[in-house]
Amino acid sequence: MMAPGTAITFLLILFSLALVVFLAFRVNDGSLLGAGFTLGNFSNVIFDPLNWSVMLRSLAIAGCVTAATVITAFPVAYFLAFHAGRRRGLILFLVTLPFWTSYLLRVFAWKIVLAYNGVLNSALVGSGLLSEPTLAFLNTPTAVVVTLAHAYAPFAILPIYVALDTIPRSLIEAAADLGARPWTTFRRVILPNAMPGVMAAALVVFVPTVGDYVTPALVGGPSSTMIGSMIQAQFGKANDWPFGAALSAAVMLVILTVVLIVRTTDARFGSRA
Amino acid sequence: MTSDRITRHGRTMVVRIAGLALVAATIALPASAADKLQYFTWSGYELPEFNQSFLAEHPDGIEFTMFGDDDDAFTKVKAGFRPDVAHPCYDKVARWNKEGLLQPIDTNRIKNWDSIFPVLKNLPDLQAGDGKVWMVPWDWGNTSILYRTDLVPNPEPSWNLLWDKQYAGRIATIDAVHDTPLVAAILAGVNPFDMTPEEMDKVADKLREQRPLLSAYTTDMTSIEQSLASGALVAAMTWNASATTLKKQGVPVEFMKPKEGMLTWSCGYVLLKDAKNVDLAYDFINSRLEAEAGRYLIENYGYGSATSTAFAGVPAEELERLQLPSDPDAMLKTTVFTAPMKQNDDLAKMFERVKAGG
Repeated sequence: MMAPGTAITFLLILFSLALVVFLAFRVNDGSLLGAGFTLGNFSNVIFDPLNWSVMLRSLAIAGCVTAATVITAFPVAYFLAFHAGRRRGLILFLVTLPFWTSYLLRVFAWKIVLAYNGVLNSALVGSGLLSEPTLAFLNTPTAVVVTLAHAYAPFAILPIYVALDTIPRSLIEAAADLGARPWTTFRRVILPNAMPGVMAAALVVFVPTVGDYVTPALVGGPSSTMIGSMIQAQFGKANDWPFGAALSAAVMLVILTVVLIVRTTDARFGSRA
Repeated sequence: MTSDRITRHGRTMVVRIAGLALVAATIALPASAADKLQYFTWSGYELPEFNQSFLAEHPDGIEFTMFGDDDDAFTKVKAGFRPDVAHPCYDKVARWNKEGLLQPIDTNRIKNWDSIFPVLKNLPDLQAGDGKVWMVPWDWGNTSILYRTDLVPNPEPSWNLLWDKQYAGRIATIDAVHDTPLVAAILAGVNPFDMTPEEMDKVADKLREQRPLLSAYTTDMTSIEQSLASGALVAAMTWNASATTLKKQGVPVEFMKPKEGMLTWSCGYVLLKDAKNVDLAYDFINSRLEAEAGRYLIENYGYGSATSTAFAGVPAEELERLQLPSDPDAMLKTTVFTAPMKQNDDLAKMFERVKAGG
């Protein structure tokens, strides 16, 4: 059983990563693997303020998405763990239901909701709240956050639900016996015990959304260009693969740093164990 | 217990059979796909009406792959995608060629070669010597501003409409180097096809000026057409086909004739170096150059066909309605032909930076 796992790790993950790192040190001459070695791609990444501002924008958008997803997922997971009873199976099924359609279809569904002549605008104009449809919904960073938060909701609900579900009920009873009010029990018993799930959820949402480029391209408009769009452009129209590779490697480092910071903070202040 | 074991056994069987089927499918699939012509093209160019005689001879004989624009197509082919025939535009041919991706096409095997307009046949980058060419021209058309006549009353006929602050948030432009930066260069008073670094900065400034006004940089013409129809957009850079489509739907739009000139482009078929189905490729190109196919292109998309025989079948009033002269030569008297841009790669990088906010 070891062989397939090893093959996948080496071929699909380590080899590809090594290729990206190799390419990042090459000089772009338009050919597939570049020519000669250079550190120029990395100095371009570091000394060009544009990369920093786009990177910060990506972290901010991904941070908003993570916050929105985790905050909305928590009540759902809480309900699932403590109040769903016999309907738990059905609700879990409903939570995963959006995954039955392609991601692109879900993005386009949001386009229908947010568009100029879309559902939201029609409702607002119909109810007299707006005199004419607004352009403020679609092609904005907010649209990117809403679309991504919806798309990643199940990724957040499931780990939080598992964490909540494994909290021994006796702990909650003990808290009540010792005179804790429901809010105190939640804050001092349930939340710390659920933190590993919340952290897992935040990571699973944050890491892929930082590098997303499809969603900003479809619902974002020019002011929500993210770092993924820039990397994609280097491998596409701009035709500078080595620079794209250097940018990718830099983004991986930034994400790694963020993740490490979060883990240390969590180990110090958070969760059980 | 026993029944449980039986079902478990049954389940393993099912898994094994499914596994075998999957392996069989992966082995069988490439085999059948290899006999089909692999055609890599713009979306909308896959209609069966464009190659009816080919399909009559080889039913289900084409496998299509789509690209958003021919710069993306180039990187995909460079990365190892190997179609038989691709459909870039003229300004990209030299670039594909330089990368060693193409093989020459023998014009003796192209039946309708003589009816292709000389202005297209004689384009310098096509010539491979010895009666051979690098690309067989098939279509040509214009890029201009498509605007809502009710929402933008009597605009000055100029590309400056896409820079008009009055319409901030309600204009869009095409996300391709040979369109938006080319127009920006014209407006900045710079020669788009060969510029110095200082001149490129001027173009970048012009593009930066436009970015905050745009709702999108896109090549997705369907969403542009929908936004123009709904009124979310009042003007956008498009190709003729969008004008034809929206006019057919009764949307009040006009395809502008800017005083600086529309852009005119021409695209066609290239044969890739590693093409496995060369004979099929010639059959396909011949079928696409038939007058019927060209007529369908003219009447349904409003694009020009590369052959004069296709135009012969279209009534004059139809061409009048499409604002299409029956000869690209007549068009080019007032328009700017998108020839290769010397600094294409630098322009592309600059354009990407501006799009990202730099």
